[in-house]
Amino acid sequence: MNFEDKSWSREPKLMRQLWAVIKYELLWNIRKKKFLGVLIVAFAITTLNLTLPVILRRTYDMPIESNPNYIVSNSGIGGLMLFLFALVTVMNSISGEFESGTIVPLLTKPISRTLILIGKIAAAFITIFAAYLLLYTYMIVGGTIIYGPQNNLDLTPLCILGDLLSTFVWVSIILALGSLTKNTILTSVIAIMVFLAMNIGSSIISVFTESAWMLHYLPGNGAAGYIKVEGQPTAYAGSISTGTDNITKMIIQYYLHPSANVTYVKVELRGGSPQGGLSSLLKELYSEPLSLVLFRAISVAAAYIIALITLAWYIFKRAQILE
Amino acid sequence: MGPKPLDLAIETIDLTKRYGSLVAVNRLNLRVGKGTIHGFLGPNGAGKTTTIKILVGLLKPDGGRAIVLGEEVHGDNPRSRLKIGYMPELPKFPRHLKGWELLDIYGQMYGMPLQERRTRIKRLMELVGLKGRENDLIGEYSKGMQQRLGIAQALLSEPELVILDEPSLGLDPVGMVEVREIIREIAREGVTVFLSSHLLSEVEQVCTHISIIHRGVCLAEGPLKDIISKISGSAILEVEVAETPDKIVEAVKRLPFVSNIHVEGSRVIIETNANGDVRPQISRAIIEAGGTIIYMNLRMRSLEETFMRLIMKSR
Ligand SMILES: Nc1ncnc2c1ncn2[C@@H]1O[C@H](COP(=O)(O)OP(=O)(O)OP(=O)(O)O)[C@@H](O)[C@H]1O
Ligand SMILES: [Mg+2]
Repeated sequence: MNFEDKSWSREPKLMRQLWAVIKYELLWNIRKKKFLGVLIVAFAITTLNLTLPVILRRTYDMPIESNPNYIVSNSGIGGLMLFLFALVTVMNSISGEFESGTIVPLLTKPISRTLILIGKIAAAFITIFAAYLLLYTYMIVGGTIIYGPQNNLDLTPLCILGDLLSTFVWVSIILALGSLTKNTILTSVIAIMVFLAMNIGSSIISVFTESAWMLHYLPGNGAAGYIKVEGQPTAYAGSISTGTDNITKMIIQYYLHPSANVTYVKVELRGGSPQGGLSSLLKELYSEPLSLVLFRAISVAAAYIIALITLAWYIFKRAQILE
Repeated sequence: MGPKPLDLAIETIDLTKRYGSLVAVNRLNLRVGKGTIHGFLGPNGAGKTTTIKILVGLLKPDGGRAIVLGEEVHGDNPRSRLKIGYMPELPKFPRHLKGWELLDIYGQMYGMPLQERRTRIKRLMELVGLKGRENDLIGEYSKGMQQRLGIAQALLSEPELVILDEPSLGLDPVGMVEVREIIREIAREGVTVFLSSHLLSEVEQVCTHISIIHRGVCLAEGPLKDIISKISGSAILEVEVAETPDKIVEAVKRLPFVSNIHVEGSRVIIETNANGDVRPQISRAIIEAGGTIIYMNLRMRSLEETFMRLIMKSR
């Protein structure tokens, strides 16, 4: 060993250090069995989505019709998958280091804790981005083979971006929990409870009460509503959920019907009308432009991400390593 | 006056750390000179690991200051860790990384360029005896191999100060000897080594200076030899004379500082309670009594004895 001629500098470059953390984290992510499991499940669901109609039509000897809108109507990774991707990617990226004690050698390297956190988040972004890129490619190729050439494929980058934004709401919730509890099991259990509460709770609130407005400000599925397009004969162009999990679906609807409105409804349990029928059971609450709904969902998602990552950073920066 | 502050690798001033009501480190004043191999001793729970964790920025002190390589340790200060290599007590590394991958990533964090990392990692893996296993996942390493990897990563950046928290814990006897050799080698190249250990024989063989702490308080600090003679207060002399030993026993016994004397075979064992070196007086007495000295050895008390005395006294 020669301690005299040290050719490298004592001033490590920040970008180089950041890349080191990203590599540290990426190598972990891609070797996580849970992550690979969720990726396989996501591919299985996409496969099912692609082929089930084909199989059903075959069984009843019906021809397979080409559908240029297959991709557009199926884009947007479902809320559960978004959550699972977030969970398996970052559930132990802070708490796991504390639990296993690997945080000790890491934090004693000449790299700031802020940079470590940024690197971990960047690695989560790259990992999930790569997974979504694979999934969308698979869906587009498969959809084109089965249902013929597809419309609006230029929306794909925006769709992936929307799904990433939705996922990162959960990523930031899980990171904040991990930083707070320093316990992976506790983090996962609380995160799953929040996810279920947001999904079950939002359905109940949205369907049975008139307080759907508050769902606009919570993560997850959000309030359910109907899209009304001006001048279109049918009252409703389709149903939509407006939470942070559904940003991609809203982006597509906004692209297809830029001037549409979203009408929130609730189910009237008592008010039986003489004519009967479903529509009479629905009470329209209020309407707002789809553009506003989309803009608000994006803002709320961004606010959650910024606030929760700041919280995770604040706690992590000050954490003492007791082991 | 002691050495100038510039010559210190580690200095703590009234360093204090509490866990709830327990005072783990109590107004500790450490001074570790540059270029020394400084042993940090103390019984279990004395506060060694706690002190070290403060020095490397893992814990925040409740009082006092710590200065490492001239930089005040406070908050998250990556700069102050640039020239320090640290091996934690029972280090744990990410199980999903290969040995060389981890060292390569750590090297990048130190700002080492690729070529430098390659040659350095290769040499370190050889040095710690992990050659041939660098492509295995750390999860497949044994406890001792993780310990060896811990030593390698502490030396990775060619640090000026190496802090080792019980480096021999969990190593096989060969590993312990190798660690001692590594410590001596890096010290020869001017690196300051600060190590905590329970292996007093190891400390005695390798350290130039020691600090002994107990219940968070420093009981003794300084050059190893000084501390042993100061605490034990006495030395043992072995003398062999050409004549029958009985002849000189009577003469030596009369010296005021001799506390005990007995014959072991052909040798006379003289216990003294003097503070300085009494070999001249003893040899004069023997010669005056008509003896011929053919062998004389000043046997230091062992560190173990010193350590036990010190700890017992403060119980
Ligand atoms: N995380 C913690 N929470 C509460 N008390 C702690 C914690 N870590 C250490 N202590 C206490 O602080 C004291 C000093 O512990 P420390 O680990 O520094 O001792 P040590 O000298 O390294 O001991 P050992 O030789 O066993 O490694 C002990 O009484 C211990 O119980
Ligand atoms: Mg200890």
